[in-house]
Amino acid sequence: MQYSQKVLDHFMKPHNVGKLEHPDAEATEGSPACGDQISITLNIDPETKVIKDVKFQSYGCASNIATGSIITDMAMGKTIEEAKNITWKGAADELDGLPPVKMHCSVLAVDTLKKAIKKYEIEHGYAKAEKFSKQTIVEELKKVIYPGVGEDIVTLKMVKYVGFEDGIATIDVEIPKFDKYRDNVAEEIEEHLEAFDEIKEVKVTI
Amino acid sequence: MDRIYFNNCLTSKPAPEVVKITTEYMKNRYYFPENFNAMGTATSKNLVKAKKIIADSMGADSKEIHFTSGGTAANNLAIKGYLTANSHKGTHIICSVIDYPDILTNAAFFESSGFDVTYLQADNEGFIDLKQLKESIREDTILFMTTLGNHTVGTIQPLKEIREILDSAVQKITMHIDACEAYARIPLNVNELGIDLMSISAHKIHGPQGIGALYQRNGIKLGLVQHGVNRMDNLQTGGLNIASIAGFAKAVELAFDDLDANITKIRELSDYLLSKIESTIPNTLLNGPRGVKRAPHNINISFDYIEGEAIMMMMDMFGVSISTGSACASQGLKPNYVLMALGRNHEQSHSSMKFTFSRYNTIKEIDYTVEKLAEVVKELRSRSPLCN
Repeated sequence: MQYSQKVLDHFMKPHNVGKLEHPDAEATEGSPACGDQISITLNIDPETKVIKDVKFQSYGCASNIATGSIITDMAMGKTIEEAKNITWKGAADELDGLPPVKMHCSVLAVDTLKKAIKKYEIEHGYAKAEKFSKQTIVEELKKVIYPGVGEDIVTLKMVKYVGFEDGIATIDVEIPKFDKYRDNVAEEIEEHLEAFDEIKEVKVTI
Repeated sequence: MDRIYFNNCLTSKPAPEVVKITTEYMKNRYYFPENFNAMGTATSKNLVKAKKIIADSMGADSKEIHFTSGGTAANNLAIKGYLTANSHKGTHIICSVIDYPDILTNAAFFESSGFDVTYLQADNEGFIDLKQLKESIREDTILFMTTLGNHTVGTIQPLKEIREILDSAVQKITMHIDACEAYARIPLNVNELGIDLMSISAHKIHGPQGIGALYQRNGIKLGLVQHGVNRMDNLQTGGLNIASIAGFAKAVELAFDDLDANITKIRELSDYLLSKIESTIPNTLLNGPRGVKRAPHNINISFDYIEGEAIMMMMDMFGVSISTGSACASQGLKPNYVLMALGRNHEQSHSSMKFTFSRYNTIKEIDYTVEKLAEVVKELRSRSPLCN
């Protein structure tokens, strides 16, 4: 496993590090307990919806810092509609690839950017908060990466059942017994779903 | 400046004398023992000599030493060999939650095969709970095992006290020690400490990779874990790694030539690094004990507000090799289980850095390392949302 030269370049000399003083939008995702956290602040032109400035702060590994750097580069100067089209795979490609075990860093960075934009849209009446449903859970599970191959657990068909009743989310996932990432995937699912106010309890069965 | 290497607990650079003798054996002295011809006889003599060097280093008899393909093979021979040969006496094992994976995975294997395992807890410096040990002993307890010089925080378990507790049982409880970390770094006499089985590894003491040894006290019965052709003694099946055995013996000779001076030098280096970090970089936390209860080659320290893999990668860019307990750098993306068992939180585990020293490290290397480390920590903290 090794990082591309581009990842190392962005890690050593990241672009757009810091915190905007008067941001129009901001979001923080991840947690120090999980080993990675990103905060993003944006200045958005109210007329053109162009991202005039964007900064990030990172508590995390080399790829966490590099993905924060690349997605802020990618978002700078784009309209929020264009920025919403940035994907974690696209960000990883911009870095000449990430090791599969590090792909979740790209997911976290892109998700933070999109959360900041979404908050901005809701606050300014450009979008409504989505109604929570079982599909919301499925969409969130698409952000949980199986580190063995660097792909999400829904695409990999590892998720066998998703249920939501009385605030309890029930997720059945299929991972071989001796797979070293079993605990990590379970923790990732819990971390992602516990962030929703609508979910009181997450039950993961592997 | 050449690369600076502080990962000697992972593996260490073979000593030039070791490389020389190993090469010589591969070129000219590769023959197997126990033939009556000149080459076979010479090999037999050299193997006897190598066993004696290793036996003498721990106060053992040559007949009590078995060569293996490394520390893990020695641990497996000890644990699997002992439990398969002695299960009629009992099926209860005791180890601790902070032991090396060789011990923990073997314990889990035997647990799934019908043995009972008690996992002792450790305090916040990594010393196992002796009260719990005393209370855990049962009539069917046959094996206690632990890691000497903990592989993460360097804690040296009080083996004499442990032996006394084990001896308070009516039955004999065998003590197996994984000493791959502690061997040649602290004085170790198997008789003074009451050790019955002990694993050691060559590549952690400037010997060749792929060779280790098991000390088996005379009278302790072990079953075979690998059946096959018998070349040297009952437990060593298959071909022998003659060149590496010679290199191993040379590494032991070099380490024990003046063990006290070696230990003093390594402790001076690690003490120097620790005091320099603590006086230069704010918001740090030493993991494990301070002073003589810690293996001299190990310093493990956490840096608040930042993550260890980033520190490791940036130091690597500056030519310094160190390791981290961060989940991001681990195989299963989990925080270091030893640090978590010691009561450290996730952040402290993710930000922990481990430096392991050898006699080849220098004060100059440490000065450069701490200078760069201060820059790296400052830079990463300036990017962190946790301190801005």
